[in-house]
Amino acid sequence: MDCRETRMLLTAFHDGELSDADRVRVEEHLRDCRTCAALRADLARADQAAGVPDPGPAYWDRFNARVMDRVEREADGPKVAVLRPKGGWMRQQLRYLVPAAAAAALVVVVVRYGGMNPGAPAPTGPPAASEPAAPEPAVPRNAKAEPEPGAMKKAERPAVARIAPPPGFADERFAAATREERDRLADRSLSAGKADASRESAAAPAAPSVPSPPPMTLRGAPAGSPPVTAADGMPSGMQTERKKMAGAAARMAEQQVAAKAKSDSGTVGVEDPSASPCELARTLADQERFRKAEAAQRACLAQDRSAPAQEKGLVFLAELLDRQERFAEADAVIADVDRRFPKSRPLDLYRQRRPEVRKHLE
Amino acid sequence: MGADLEEEMDERLAQLAAGGDRGAFEALVTRHRRAVYRLCWSASGNAADADDAAQETFVRVYRSLPSYDPGRPFGPWLRKIAWNCGLSARRDGTAGVSRVAEGDAPEAVDPAPGPEEAAAGSEERRRVADAMADLPAELRMVMVLRAVEGLSYAEIALAAGIPAGTVMSRLSRARSRLLAALEGGS
Repeated sequence: MDCRETRMLLTAFHDGELSDADRVRVEEHLRDCRTCAALRADLARADQAAGVPDPGPAYWDRFNARVMDRVEREADGPKVAVLRPKGGWMRQQLRYLVPAAAAAALVVVVVRYGGMNPGAPAPTGPPAASEPAAPEPAVPRNAKAEPEPGAMKKAERPAVARIAPPPGFADERFAAATREERDRLADRSLSAGKADASRESAAAPAAPSVPSPPPMTLRGAPAGSPPVTAADGMPSGMQTERKKMAGAAARMAEQQVAAKAKSDSGTVGVEDPSASPCELARTLADQERFRKAEAAQRACLAQDRSAPAQEKGLVFLAELLDRQERFAEADAVIADVDRRFPKSRPLDLYRQRRPEVRKHLE
Repeated sequence: MGADLEEEMDERLAQLAAGGDRGAFEALVTRHRRAVYRLCWSASGNAADADDAAQETFVRVYRSLPSYDPGRPFGPWLRKIAWNCGLSARRDGTAGVSRVAEGDAPEAVDPAPGPEEAAAGSEERRRVADAMADLPAELRMVMVLRAVEGLSYAEIALAAGIPAGTVMSRLSRARSRLLAALEGGS
């Protein structure tokens, strides 16, 4: 086969649409002709560029509930206004839904009891409802409202966050098996009762992790302290206690996630409606908490031993190691992927990005 | 929605959903929402419209289930609805203007990175995303269905209502333009 004929067939070859006979002939030519091989590589590059940005886990957490709400409204009566203002919802949600549940719990605590503390941050928006519990309460990193005295100038801030692809975006770039399988993997934690649970927890975001205030009487308050009502606030000592409790609850939730992941390991396909370490890993990575993300990702890998999950998951683990500057360990993971999944596309893609990842650590 | 539903074929789920089984319908939503979103994005070229269109797609699917024939494959039927919703979302308003809108990627989650922060890598990503958003919708569609969804020419032809030969020529054009965008910045 000559170059002319190869190039006529190259697109179909690349897309796996050639007959076996033609495919073999093109392959033979590509082995000998670097020019044509480069053209083939270009096709692959174009495909890699064709990703659609994924809106991220917080978006998907709410997606089903939004559809089902509309469907139920339709079922209830004639088609009433089902169109909502364009564009606004998602942009707003993306800003506010990212903080995980424990962060939401803290926000609730602060909102409820922070009235007595002028320095307390104002509520920034609806708390995330159904992220797996994050390890520790944290002020949402998107809470940009608060001023940052002496904050680094924009340019000086670590660029990693910007460079790190969001969880979904990374997914877009990973082409394991079939698209549908990957979607299913991405949705593991959201299946079964998760969507329902998220809807319920949306109504009472703090319920699982923040116990309701214990009964207290004013007699217990120190003399001279301002009167408080059970609904409005509590003495400052109690505030501290409350925050500790919220923190402890969040830590317990984290331990449960880890224990659950451990107990599920090896049982492929078991759905865990309460939390998915895989999703937790993405969320934590997105928050630049790479060490914790790594732990979650290892639990994720233990939980799902299917080949596509391992291939993709190990590459992500390598990235998490790189981001902690543990390059030798990352190299070892990459070598492992190379050995187990020759010509891995997720790995190829990460190799292309890797210099960029490492560059931004310097 | 139980584990058994997750294992059901689309067509069976659609049949159950048509009979009023909300769990079956939600199983379909969960299974296809990402693909639907991507298709809506490729029709509209931006995240906000893709969101509207993806939601609208499933509402329309629900509405149309009574007329769905379980003897025909569900996927192409769904894709057709999604594509139409994506196109009409684009026509509805400001679609296509915002292109890679603030709701699209990392920047949306962590808003307002200044231009000075844009490192070479993210610049390239943005350039490519822009190139993708700049493609005419019909080229973007075949590109997404092939390179992202992994559909065959025949499946794409069915979804797009075009001959398989046209699929290949559109793919070639789409790839050329994306490559030109990649080269353009280097």
